[in-house]
Amino acid sequence: MAAVTAPVDPGLYGDIRRFGGGDVTACFSCGTCTATCPLVAEDGTFPRRIIRYAQVGMKDALLSSKELWTCYQCGECSDSCPTKADPSEFMAAARRYAIAGYDRTRVARTMYTQPILATIIAVALALFFALFMYSAHGPQSGETLAIFTFIPEELIHNTGIVVMIVVLLAGIAGVATMARAIARREGVSLRSVVGGRAALGRTARALRFAVAREAIGQARFREDCDADQQALPLLRRRWLIHALVVWGFIGLLGATGLDYGLALVGIKETGAPVPLWYPVRLLGTVAGAALLYGTTFLIIDRYRAATRAVRSSTTADWMLLVLLWVTGATGFALELELYLPSAPAWGYWVFLLHVAVALELVLLAPFMKLAHAVYRPVALFFVALARDSAREGVTR
Amino acid sequence: MTETMVPVGGPEASARRIGVYVCHCGGNISDYVDVEKVIADIRGAGDVVVAKTAMFTCSDATQQEIVADIQANELDGLVVASCSPKLHTYTFRGVAARAGLNPYEYTQVNIREQCSWVHTDDTQAATAKATALVNAGIGRTRHTTPLVPLVVETLPHTLVIGGGIAGLRAAIGLADIGLKVTLVERELALGGWVKDLGTMYPHNRNGRELIDSLIAGVKRRPAITVLTGAEVVGKAGSFGNYRMSVRIGDPGSASIEVAVGSVVVATGFDAYAPADGEFGFGLDGVVTLPDFKAMVDSATGPLMWKGRKVRSVAYVYCVGSRGTGGCAGQACSRYCCAATVQTAVQLSGLDPAIGQYHLYRDMRTYGKFEPLYTEARKAGSVFLKFDNDMPPAVETRPDGRLTVTVTDLLTERTELAIPVDLVVLVTAMAPRANDELVKVLKLPAGADGFFNEIHPKLRPVETVVDGVLIAGACQGPKTSSESVASGLAAVTQSAAVLKKGYTELDPLVALVVPEACTACGDCLTACPYDAIAMTQEGDRHWAVISAAGCKGCGGCVPMCPESAIDLLGYTDAEVTSMIESLAEVPA
Repeated sequence: MAAVTAPVDPGLYGDIRRFGGGDVTACFSCGTCTATCPLVAEDGTFPRRIIRYAQVGMKDALLSSKELWTCYQCGECSDSCPTKADPSEFMAAARRYAIAGYDRTRVARTMYTQPILATIIAVALALFFALFMYSAHGPQSGETLAIFTFIPEELIHNTGIVVMIVVLLAGIAGVATMARAIARREGVSLRSVVGGRAALGRTARALRFAVAREAIGQARFREDCDADQQALPLLRRRWLIHALVVWGFIGLLGATGLDYGLALVGIKETGAPVPLWYPVRLLGTVAGAALLYGTTFLIIDRYRAATRAVRSSTTADWMLLVLLWVTGATGFALELELYLPSAPAWGYWVFLLHVAVALELVLLAPFMKLAHAVYRPVALFFVALARDSAREGVTR
Repeated sequence: MTETMVPVGGPEASARRIGVYVCHCGGNISDYVDVEKVIADIRGAGDVVVAKTAMFTCSDATQQEIVADIQANELDGLVVASCSPKLHTYTFRGVAARAGLNPYEYTQVNIREQCSWVHTDDTQAATAKATALVNAGIGRTRHTTPLVPLVVETLPHTLVIGGGIAGLRAAIGLADIGLKVTLVERELALGGWVKDLGTMYPHNRNGRELIDSLIAGVKRRPAITVLTGAEVVGKAGSFGNYRMSVRIGDPGSASIEVAVGSVVVATGFDAYAPADGEFGFGLDGVVTLPDFKAMVDSATGPLMWKGRKVRSVAYVYCVGSRGTGGCAGQACSRYCCAATVQTAVQLSGLDPAIGQYHLYRDMRTYGKFEPLYTEARKAGSVFLKFDNDMPPAVETRPDGRLTVTVTDLLTERTELAIPVDLVVLVTAMAPRANDELVKVLKLPAGADGFFNEIHPKLRPVETVVDGVLIAGACQGPKTSSESVASGLAAVTQSAAVLKKGYTELDPLVALVVPEACTACGDCLTACPYDAIAMTQEGDRHWAVISAAGCKGCGGCVPMCPESAIDLLGYTDAEVTSMIESLAEVPA
């Protein structure tokens, strides 16, 4: 480790505990968790080292630990812990703490540590978006579901763009904080990432690993979490359910973006009726189905505490699932309404709900559990870089 | 068992009837020493009447056979060549006694530890050496005389020195078995360290209450006389009849004499006093465990230090123990891990938010105290392990608080800087500064300064000074329960010698031949036990050795220029005969 003296923050452990779950005070650093961790082949110190950081109060070391994000909470460590500490759940809490730690606005901290206030904020924000949209509403046609007559498409788009900008700024700030912390710890400089052909090659490989293989491919998630689920049908396994949510979310984001893009270049008006096979619509429908299927079963499994990973749940866990599910369910309800002979009045309210919740989901993304969708690949990018340079070190 | 006739003739003619037994020790000896050849080669002087080998001489069957041989052959001397005399001297003395032979007519020859085990490379030479040793044993036995144990009457009265938890409990125990007790305490109040303690592990009993109940017990027993503010300043007499001088009050005050049969020393320990600057000792906010424990015991809520709430505490373990930071003390003080962890749990109860960092080398909450360690962790204590090569450092910060810097072995040897309000030095139990008492009692202390027992397992409270027993932490670091246990062991040992009313002493003591003594006084300075005194009759002066005081060490014998002193059991005649036998080692 570095020769620099690490300052100790006596309040760190208590602070992390405010992010829920995972009492590891009983831990006496035996390392059984590390020995049973599926990640041991790559990192012989996880999760014991992270627990140690928290116990001792090494805040900087904790926030610069890329390993935190290599864990998919299989729960082996908690099952094997001789002191009945709960390292697995504690890692989840540490990741929540990290999400809040990278967010300088302290919004994420509030969302995680004050569940009642967070719930009020979530409801209020949805109401705000709904009222904001409704304030510019037009007539509700009874013949066909003319949703963009009810709420002007312009207003939705422009609000969406503003929300996106806010999210991007917050997201970039968070990612920058995280990346800077990890890079300093790992000794990764900007030059070593983009300076020269070799560096760019390494970066491309690392990106491929983090984004293609892990974020989209969900490779490690599948390896780590499938071991004890072989008996379940494929469609009920934790990794596939999670992957369907990921793919559905990405698909919907893509469909929405493409739809907007097609309108910008004048190929297709937003809201213009197109057949089901129309590529953008087909993508949206399939992705929406995946998202809805995935979130439904995530909710069921979490409610039943079906796997070790969902043995305990926080308000933040439920909030993300509820927002995703409402977004997906209202989207499908809209699709169905399009085929109804006449436009029912509730169709317009479902639409308003869909827009409000979707906007809220995007706006809150950097401040809630959804942020892991970005932080985890960033950390995995550094994991890949480290693995690469270790390999080079061996061959050199 | 085989028997060989020993040829008549040898170094000198002798009228003794000696039996010689050479042991195989099941092969331990006979694998390297040809025991049959030893029997064949020993040189008697017509006095070795029986010579045999045996697979195990210590077996019941052989013991019975020896008894039968002694009786049938009217033997007056016995030699067994087997293992170390530490193992079986008393076994074969017993065999002799059962056969009606005086036990001191027996000689043990060690041909196992001193021969077969150390000469496995040369069986011929081993056999020759064994033969020589057996011949020496026979040589000694030619000159043995029957000896009888000294019988000393004992006084049913014990002096207990030290009124701490061990001494108090011992005094009560002694009184309860019907002995008179005089309890001497240097301080004005009884109770020692424990009276100042609040909650103690493992049962959360209050130290003050424990001592109060013991003091009440002492008061209820008229057989116990308590002398406080008193010190033992003199010892005369011998085992069973000591005359102890006890000074009551300041130096210069008068002494009283107490006649006792035994003495229980329970003088306890001193808390190790760290040197200035040792782990920050001397800085504001750096305290020792005893001082800190007193703070916690008297607190009713969060701790305060200099008007400020104590938010975090660091404990530095092993201060003064185990050579930590280069200190002289090498022992583990044994009580301190559990005491510190218990104090931390107690403090967490007073202030659940307090940060507690334990900087330890090895956590030794042994035995039943282990749950305390778990309890402390669960209450939020953080344990950091340091290596003695990288001991922690304590500094004052600009804001007046303290920073403890430690390289934590459990966090990848990261150097951590911990901000704390108090640093507690977990200090060792050090031997009490007791030079005067040590001089008076002639108690042997180890290199660590604590008193030494005779045998750590088998004779844990007896000392080489007969009738002087040790109990509690004066012997070495102990918990209070261990101190009480050793105090009660000292009660039992006192009873063993005092309840009979007499005791038997080994007759292997030195004797002065008055006619040869010129009263030069050299032997007086040689005796470490003050057992020799001058006596006179008219103009004649000579030295007299108290048989009860003599330990048979032999220190005076070579000092005597007139060879006027002989040590029974190792007389000049016996030793000379052994040397002469050995000097004629066969080629």
